[in-house]
Amino acid sequence: MIIKGGIVYDPANGIFGEEMDLFVDKGRMVEQAKGEEIDAHGLLVMPGGVDAHSHIAGKKVNTGRIMRPDDSRLGTEPRTGTCRPSTGYTVPNCYAIGYRYARMGYTTAFEAATPILEARHTHEELEEIPIIDKGALTLFGNNWQVMECIRNNDMDMLAAYMAWGLRSARGYGVKIVNPGGGEAWGFGGNVKGLDDPVPNFDVTPAEIIRGLAQANEMLRLPHSIHLHLNNLGKPGNYNTAIETLDLLKDIRPGRMRQVVHITHMQFSAYGGSSWRDFESKAPVIADYFNSHHHATMDMGQLLFGSATTMTADAPLEYGNARLTHNKWSNHDIELEESSGVVPMVYSRKMLVNAVQWAVGLELALLVADPWKILMTTDHPNGSPFVNYPEVISLLISKPKRDAEMALMHDQVQNRTSLSGIERELDWTDIVIMTRAAPARILGLQDKGHLGPGADADITIYNLMPEELDASQNHDLVKKALACAKYTIKGGAVVSKDGQILSTPPGRTFWVDAAVPQDDADRLMPELEEKFAKYYSVQLSNYAVQDAYLPHAQVIRAGLSVESLKEVA
Amino acid sequence: MRTIIMSPKKDFRISVEAEVISPDRLALLDIDQIKKLAVWQGNRQHILSDLFTVESDDSTATAGDTTVRLTGDFSKVKRIGEGMTAGVIEVQGSAGMHAGNNMSGGLLSIAENADDWLAREMRGGKVVVMGDAGNYVGAGYRGEKCGMRGGEIEVSGSVGAYLGEHICGGSIRIGGNAGDFAGAANQGGTIFIEGCSYLPGAEMSKGTITVKGTAKVLPSFQKMEVVQIDGQAYQKYAGDLVDNGKGELLVGSVRMV
Repeated sequence: MIIKGGIVYDPANGIFGEEMDLFVDKGRMVEQAKGEEIDAHGLLVMPGGVDAHSHIAGKKVNTGRIMRPDDSRLGTEPRTGTCRPSTGYTVPNCYAIGYRYARMGYTTAFEAATPILEARHTHEELEEIPIIDKGALTLFGNNWQVMECIRNNDMDMLAAYMAWGLRSARGYGVKIVNPGGGEAWGFGGNVKGLDDPVPNFDVTPAEIIRGLAQANEMLRLPHSIHLHLNNLGKPGNYNTAIETLDLLKDIRPGRMRQVVHITHMQFSAYGGSSWRDFESKAPVIADYFNSHHHATMDMGQLLFGSATTMTADAPLEYGNARLTHNKWSNHDIELEESSGVVPMVYSRKMLVNAVQWAVGLELALLVADPWKILMTTDHPNGSPFVNYPEVISLLISKPKRDAEMALMHDQVQNRTSLSGIERELDWTDIVIMTRAAPARILGLQDKGHLGPGADADITIYNLMPEELDASQNHDLVKKALACAKYTIKGGAVVSKDGQILSTPPGRTFWVDAAVPQDDADRLMPELEEKFAKYYSVQLSNYAVQDAYLPHAQVIRAGLSVESLKEVA
Repeated sequence: MRTIIMSPKKDFRISVEAEVISPDRLALLDIDQIKKLAVWQGNRQHILSDLFTVESDDSTATAGDTTVRLTGDFSKVKRIGEGMTAGVIEVQGSAGMHAGNNMSGGLLSIAENADDWLAREMRGGKVVVMGDAGNYVGAGYRGEKCGMRGGEIEVSGSVGAYLGEHICGGSIRIGGNAGDFAGAANQGGTIFIEGCSYLPGAEMSKGTITVKGTAKVLPSFQKMEVVQIDGQAYQKYAGDLVDNGKGELLVGSVRMV
């Protein structure tokens, strides 16, 4: 396949809007090829989108679907010759997730939080999501074994357990959600700060985060720890964010990447002491990221309208349910986590929501280096992923932001700095934030760029970047991004002008990290005891079998990869 | 003024989904266009004239100046008048499920009975039923937080369970009895029941429910004073206290169980 004459953005390879031809052979980018020609003259061409944080599969997504039949009917599309029926808006069915990502030009998405115990369900759903490649991050932040290893200061056994947990869950990386808080929630409590001890375990959230980060680097995992901070969603929580970031700045990465990815930063960049004096502290957070280089983040942008909040941060969801009088699901996951789901409507007229909306945008605009911040909405917590084009058009156009702010409470001007920010992102920034950076942050070497050997995941949008004034024509941008002219996945055209043409199954990435055998041998008796005493399942039934991942792509880590060499 | 008359060509064993039967959808079309509108019966798509006879003059009109008259048995025809905003639908027999759902204006009159989900999530306009209606009259559909938001529903006969569940506004008047849980989760609507009901107003937070006949009242309602309305004494209750509710429940004759 040859894609002719497009204006190509491939920032990972130093290409910033050059007219060039692209060649595809056997699902990969190559230097020369023959075959079908796609005319992309003057059109915007970039790698397929990569979503590093999205709740798309597993038990809590399904709980959201069960709780929200009202949401199901918002997005119904009948089956066609190629597609199965779609339903849902904030919690779409599996098929709709694949089709809608592909229509927007996305070809990869990672499920953000899966307990090991429920990983089998996650993989059953991931396998049903057509087209896109995916993976699932595994939860470790409230795990009994993790906390015991940290209390005993046994980093080798912790690393062995994390490797075993990732293998059992067929997981891709280490997710930490409100470390310690999920365990405290089992007793109706929460942890208030980084040094607040977890009941019955005699460890603090700070120790859990540091321990997991160190073990993550010992294992040389492709992704760093992926952290949902303590005190998320509370006024004044920016302090916790800065303290947590400071906690990790001396840790040496095991690969060429960040040592921590802070997820949905928007929910953790708040000032004020209550909802009454709630304000944005995004500038403080952005300054920190501009002056430190060990951390990355994603926006977690909030948009007005319907959302479904779902997280392993169960105490937070209890608060949401009390605040909104809405439906609430609460869940305890044995020795591993707790979780909750609450439907939500964000309103322009609510000052708190309007400030939250502004915080996400401030973060993206104030962090100078786009490689440090990804565009996400924490689907479906801030907004469903189908609204990414709205987020991008806000980032790309100051007039659009001003028009939106004119509809909001006057106080938004005083409590955020958004109205004073002139910056408008360009296509290079957008391509980095939605393609190149998420692939690099996740450690996906063949994604997010178009160099030889990369996966032939390509998006062509019906926009002329050389002629278009994106800032003034933001409506046009939004429309074009919502419906790619061509989405090419693994060398096959999967979507054209919003029509799904083919539905190949996507691959599922997981990480197999090798650890020293004696650490694994020391670990097993402890696990056997836990399963005999506490778990509702047997150890032999716990791990996800390979039959659940017919399209698995294993990435090696741990002892099987070389460590970084010291550069003199 | 334009009148469109439709009648089923046969007895339907399988229900027909006919959301196109609404002044808004028909008023601006000529007779041939109307006959070619798509309707589904089960999993098969038909055109309207496969299933119904259609008579009308060829003039087009605005929806407000259009009357759709349905003669014969429409009890297996669903979604009549879905989303209508103006005009009149006269059902001369019975209507099937979901009649008048989401309507925001105009008049839907049904000479005999209506099935379940009559006028669910209605926003405005008026629905009149001379016979009985099924469950979930004026309610919200599955999972929805808000049912009827405005408009008027009058049913001369009795209705099934969950009358006006999640009602947020508008008014409902029932000539006969209402089944279990009338006005459940009422958030600001007005319901009057001439006959009896069972456990009305569960989880209500606002609005008024009046039951002229007998009703069993939930223990989570606080007993207030006795009030006189139109010469009849009503026991007044406030609730539902499980939801810290500020609703008003008036019962003509309280059943003690």
